[in-house]
Parts: sequence; C-alpha cells; structure tokens
Amino acid sequence: MNMFKHKNTPLIIAFSIPILMILFVVVSIYIPGLFVQPKYNFLYSTGEDYYGNRQYSVIGGRLIINPTPTPSLNYRSYGNPQLYVHNVMTNESMPVSFEDGSNYFLDSNTESPDGYKLENGSSGGGFFPFWYDRDYGSKYLVGHNVSKKVNVRSHSSSYNSIHFLGWIMQ
Amino acid sequence: MDNAVNMEKQELLSSITSLSLQNSVTKEEVIQAFENGKQQKTGVLRREMGLAEVLYFIGGFIVFVGIAILIWQNWSTLNSVTKILTTLGFGIAAYFAGVILNREERYGALGYAFHLIAALVIPLGLTVTFDQAGFNTSSAGTQSLIAGTLFAMYLSSYLVFKKPFFTFFSIAYATYFFFSFTNFLIGSNPYFTDIKFYEYRFLMVGLSYLLLGYYLSSTEQKDLSGILYGFGNLFFLGAALVLGGWKPSQNVLWEIVFPGLVFIILFLSVHLKSKAFLTWGTIFLMAYILKITGEYFSGTIGWPLSLMICGVSLIGIGYYAFTVNKKYLSTKI
Repeated sequence: MNMFKHKNTPLIIAFSIPILMILFVVVSIYIPGLFVQPKYNFLYSTGEDYYGNRQYSVIGGRLIINPTPTPSLNYRSYGNPQLYVHNVMTNESMPVSFEDGSNYFLDSNTESPDGYKLENGSSGGGFFPFWYDRDYGSKYLVGHNVSKKVNVRSHSSSYNSIHFLGWIMQ
Repeated sequence: MDNAVNMEKQELLSSITSLSLQNSVTKEEVIQAFENGKQQKTGVLRREMGLAEVLYFIGGFIVFVGIAILIWQNWSTLNSVTKILTTLGFGIAAYFAGVILNREERYGALGYAFHLIAALVIPLGLTVTFDQAGFNTSSAGTQSLIAGTLFAMYLSSYLVFKKPFFTFFSIAYATYFFFSFTNFLIGSNPYFTDIKFYEYRFLMVGLSYLLLGYYLSSTEQKDLSGILYGFGNLFFLGAALVLGGWKPSQNVLWEIVFPGLVFIILFLSVHLKSKAFLTWGTIFLMAYILKITGEYFSGTIGWPLSLMICGVSLIGIGYYAFTVNKKYLSTKI
C-alpha cells in the first residue's frame, strides 16, 4: 500500500529536509545579523600579560593603569598592550591611546545597557568522521536571541586574546 | 524487447482488462503478481551473494587499512607526490578497475571489491591532497570541499552506471557533506551549541533516510531499503531520545513526544512489513522505559522495584515484538 499519492513524493521530501535545514541555518545566522543593532561601543585591550596581570583596568568607570607587580620567578613582564575602541555600527576597531581612553566613562559590566554581551566563539569538536576546527578566539555580540561576529583586533587566536574593559557610556 | 514478448504482454494486459471488467481480478492481486516477479529476481541476486563476495569486501577493506597505515607510518619520509599517488592515485586506479570488471558478467562481484577500495581510499587521497596543497583539512570548509567532491563523483557514477552501490555511497557522502557544510555555515557562532545541533541534524538525516528507504522500496534498488530503514531508525529515534536529555536538564516536550514516535515506528513496521522498524522501535521503547524509570522513579519507589517493573515491561515488549514479527512480517525488508 502506498502511503503517498505520488510515487516521487517521499523522494522529494527526503531531499527537501536537509536542504531546508541548511536554509534554516543560513537564515538563522545571517538574517538576524541584519537586525542586530547594538548601541554601545566598547573598549578593550590586546597583548596583555599571559598570566592575567593586566596593565589596564576600570575603576569607578574610568580607565586606569595598574601598578607594575613586584618581579618574581613566575612573573612574566607585560608585553606591549594596545587599547582599541570597537565601533559597533561599522564593526571596526580603532587603536586609541591611554589618554584618549581615560576620557571615556565606562560600564565594565559584561552585559551592555541595551542587553548585549561579548562572547567567545565555540571551540572545535565533533566526532569521527565529522571533526572540525573552530575559531575559539573569535568574538560575537550576543543578545536578544541573535548574535553577530565582531571584527576585533587581537594578537592571537586564544580565547583570552582580548581583554574587555567596558562599554563606552560617553 | 522482441516481438513475441511484446505480443504476450499485450495479450496479458488485455486479459487483465477483461477480467477487471468482470470484477474477477482485483488491483491488489495484479500488483501482488507483479511484486512476486520482482522478489524472485532479487532472491536470485541475493543467493548469488556467497562466501566469495564477502571475502572480496573484507579484502577491499583490509587493502584500505593497509594504505592508511602505510601513509601514517611513512608520513615524514614520503614526499608530496608519493603521498598523493599512493592514496588518491591508487583510489582512482581502483575505481577504474571496478568499472572495467563490472562490465564483464564472468567476474561477478569482483568489480565491487575494487569499488569499495576506491570509495574508502579516495576520501583519504583527497584529504592528503588538500593537506599537501596547504589546506587545513580539519576545517569545516575543507571538509565540505572533500565531501562535496565525493558526493558529486558518486552521484555522477550512479547516473552513468545505475548501480545501487553508487546510490549507497552517494547517500553516505551526501550525509558527510550535509554535516560538514552546516558546520562550515555556523562557524564559531556561540548560538549553535555542538551537541544539540548534532542531535537535530541526526534527527533530520534519520527522517530523510526513512523516506529514501520507502521510495527505493518501490524501485529496483529495494535492497537498499533495509539499510536505510536501519540507519534511519537508529538516527531518528536515537536523536529524539537524546533530545529528551536527563534530569535536571531534561526536555519534557521530547520526553512526552518520544513514545508517540516509537509507536508510529512500530505501527509502520507492520504497514511496511519491515523488520528494521520493528527491531529499532522495540530497542528504543526498551531504552525509553529504562531511561524514564531511572530518571523519575528510582528515587521514589527505589531501584529494586524500578528494576522489577523495567524487567516485566521489557519482557512484555519482547513478547509483543516476537508476536508482531511472527504474525505480520513474514516478508522481511
């Protein structure tokens, strides 16, 4: 007994399912990106100390330079950290000096006032034969059920390649 | 088709028409007579599959393992040309050997042994070739290129040679392409958590396999239906069960929907006369009962009583499967 009116119907549905799923993935990734409109630019630094001894931090909404830690056997000196402001409208990062950065009033909460967070990309994974690499060091603005890749400048592809300092309030 | 056969066919069709006018023959009887002929044909083909063919395929697989180990052990000493020749070159040579041997009836299934070697070695060869060309072979983009090339190659082979072997590998490599291409599309997007997305993709692939199996069951490639039904049920029900999760992060909707899906599969086992549907439906119903008991009842009524209830349920399901198999599935797919 045939469950379908036309003989080729199951074949058409069988091919349509993966194609529709690919379209769904495309739509769910690229279309929301058109509607993601975060308002707040953010300040970050790259090339900070590998062991977490940050040169820059934010206290009371203002950018400061931390005092240099006492040298020890385990201490690795600061590299040459660079400050950047990321413009969320143009999706570009521009270098700024400490003097310019210290003029901003910063919100150092992980979530911006308009509900976005800066998150790392997913790491690689899968299983045989579907292993794959992913860029864990890539950054995304995530919020309101959408995400958008942000073009940050970093010195490496590790997950802590950039140090988020704060959302620029003014 | 010669004239004698053509005349015989015309007479037969005229007889069917006149018997139909007299209501002496039903549509089902005509279709059944047609199906009987097809089954006898496939029965002959199945009987031809003997020890020699099994040894061909085992031999083909061993050759593939040998090449893989050869490359792995001598990776640092072989140069690029040698690496590509021993993998991709050998795979392409095996493919054409298979094509030539398949033309001659007297070689039987020997050609398929070479096709099996080609189907396993060519992906390895493409990976080595892309690696030597400087591509990152573990990236989803490169894997999509490899999978897409293989899919195109085996789909073209099917269109030219019309052999079920090529249909099988077209489906296998289309699946590989589907997974690698969707991996490529999502990139590092944090919204697509790995496991959940894999579960949904396996669910969809399983459903596609079931529909493809159903379509092929009414064609000359009906032997592939059993394999597709088997993998389709495994992927579809397996993904649906895993989507239910485990307490405390379970997904109640999938836990409620799952038994419904299993009963649809069990119903279809009778409708389609498919042992693959019955077997996987039964296995997943048992797995579901064990999961739900462990998840919700082991803490309240205790493990000993839970295990006893599980045991009795499993015996009941086993007996049901045995009865259905005996009563309805005399013709297996």
